[in-house]
Amino acid sequence: MFDFAEMKAALEHGKAAQVKEFAEKALAEGVGAEEILNEGLIAAMAVVGEKFKKNEVYVPEVLVAARAMYAGLDVLRPLLAKSGVKKAGKLVIGTVKGDLHDIGKNLVKMMFEGAGYEVVDLGTDVSPAKFVDAVRSERPDFLGMSALLTTTMPSMKSTIEALKDAGLRNHVKVLVGGAPVTSKYASEIGADGYAPDASSAVDVAKELVKGK
Amino acid sequence: MPRLIDLVRIAGRRLVVPLLGYPGAQLTCSSLKQNEFNPVLHCESICRLVDRFSPDAAFFMMDLSVEAGALGLPVRYPLYESPTVEEHPVRSLADLEAFKVLDPLDDALVQARIRAMELMKERLDVPRGGYVIGPFTLAGLLMGASELAMATITDPDLVHGVVGFCTDVCVRYARALAAAGADMIAILEPTATFLSPQAFDTFCGAYIRGLITEVTGNPGMTGAAPAGDVAGGTDATGGRAGAGARTATGTTDAADKADAAGVRNGSESAGIERTTGATGSASRANAPDIAGPRRADAMTPMMILHICGDTSHLVRNMCATGAHGLSLDSPVDFARAAREADPEVVLIGNVDPVGVMVQETPDGVRRAVRALLDMMEPYENFILSTGCDLPYETPFENIDAFMKEGRL
Repeated sequence: MFDFAEMKAALEHGKAAQVKEFAEKALAEGVGAEEILNEGLIAAMAVVGEKFKKNEVYVPEVLVAARAMYAGLDVLRPLLAKSGVKKAGKLVIGTVKGDLHDIGKNLVKMMFEGAGYEVVDLGTDVSPAKFVDAVRSERPDFLGMSALLTTTMPSMKSTIEALKDAGLRNHVKVLVGGAPVTSKYASEIGADGYAPDASSAVDVAKELVKGK
Repeated sequence: MPRLIDLVRIAGRRLVVPLLGYPGAQLTCSSLKQNEFNPVLHCESICRLVDRFSPDAAFFMMDLSVEAGALGLPVRYPLYESPTVEEHPVRSLADLEAFKVLDPLDDALVQARIRAMELMKERLDVPRGGYVIGPFTLAGLLMGASELAMATITDPDLVHGVVGFCTDVCVRYARALAAAGADMIAILEPTATFLSPQAFDTFCGAYIRGLITEVTGNPGMTGAAPAGDVAGGTDATGGRAGAGARTATGTTDAADKADAAGVRNGSESAGIERTTGATGSASRANAPDIAGPRRADAMTPMMILHICGDTSHLVRNMCATGAHGLSLDSPVDFARAAREADPEVVLIGNVDPVGVMVQETPDGVRRAVRALLDMMEPYENFILSTGCDLPYETPFENIDAFMKEGRL
């Protein structure tokens, strides 16, 4: 029986090379890729997320833990794809047009991947048309938009309007966030959900599809 | 050396200093980009804001790209929003070498800022404020914020090297702004918001402390070392030794300018009255003489540390940098911050610049200002302000409501 405690500790401390080795070792011992994903990677990222929420760790620690998670995920990915493991859901995410800030968007992305979601990252400076195209082709459960600049916030509204025009608005739950964004603004522009920080974004998403 | 808390005490009433800058472009019918490139227009925009709203001090427009642009990083200048640095090329200490041959003061946009400050000095009779980026945030622009964050754990030597270099750039620019007439200099350090208190002391606080000491010639408000690892602070100083030669030259230059500015200021205090010039007088009957003590000691600006976002966990550490004032953003509980902060360090803030100042009605602004003033009533070390710079489109009736309620 493979002991995940060491692997989880390595991930929490951001030891990417060790996490990769543990993932390979577990596979060699006959542990299934899905079990390694759930018990070794997702469980450890959940711990990191909780500590982040409680201010026990900060952004640098989350970033190195996430990097370690990706190192493990890279080992598992081919096997996971082959076995067709069901994902928790799918998120398309990007920072809106005119805005080049990505750290908040990246944190949200990591939290979702850490919670077992498939994430399509469109990067920064993403136009409404590009968001719409991605929703059409990727068919995600969620669309996440991030903005740091007050002046780029209106692009969130334009994107929601563009989704309506394309007849796609009811196909996806729209989540928004970023320093100048408030829950009031989110409801004004017709977003489905708002998260004040990266660690609560996954909870907001889960809440939105509860009982669905 | 004048301290911000002295200014607060002399005033005898709450000082009201919203972080106005961008809305000034509305008054000159100009874009933010024009103000960034044209110091005469920039000064005009600020002077018109002072005439229109009568704040107790006036800062020029906030900009986190000036220093990075002077180092040659590509910057995007949108018409109506703050400029953004587009690339973050530094991955190693060797990559830094290319930047060391440049003197940031030779850059045209840096010179435009310095010129804007000189013009503000000629025209404004309220204390003038300038901004300089914080060394950690400048390091984040050089390396990329995520890369910098991870390197605090995986490659501390690289972080010390880059932040040390950046401190030198910040010192050069801050001294030049002081020589040009800045009574206050706010160090903008938003990227530090994501650091733990210990990492803040090691990778940011120690360098801010060095910056403040270099600019004011004084270790600052508090004698205490940063709350964290003292060795970290020593390393920090050591890390900057490589750039020491240039700093020494810079000191001489700045000292010359300082002397010149001191002479000019001396003549002012001998009776030449400052006015806002072409746009009319910004002198107000009710204006406290808070510019007074500054003139006697012209070359030591009051240093303010501004960090955006939720910095509740860093208040004590920010105080330990020796800053005279902390400008804190709207997520911070100010009563709690006041209980934690050194009572000689002035807390500046923190009405929400977007959620309240842009999105609320004037009544909503009045309620937010009143609630903050009531909460801070027991504390002397407080200046009513906004949590961050106000966006260009902030409705003027909301700024009026802010000023009026603040002066009640």
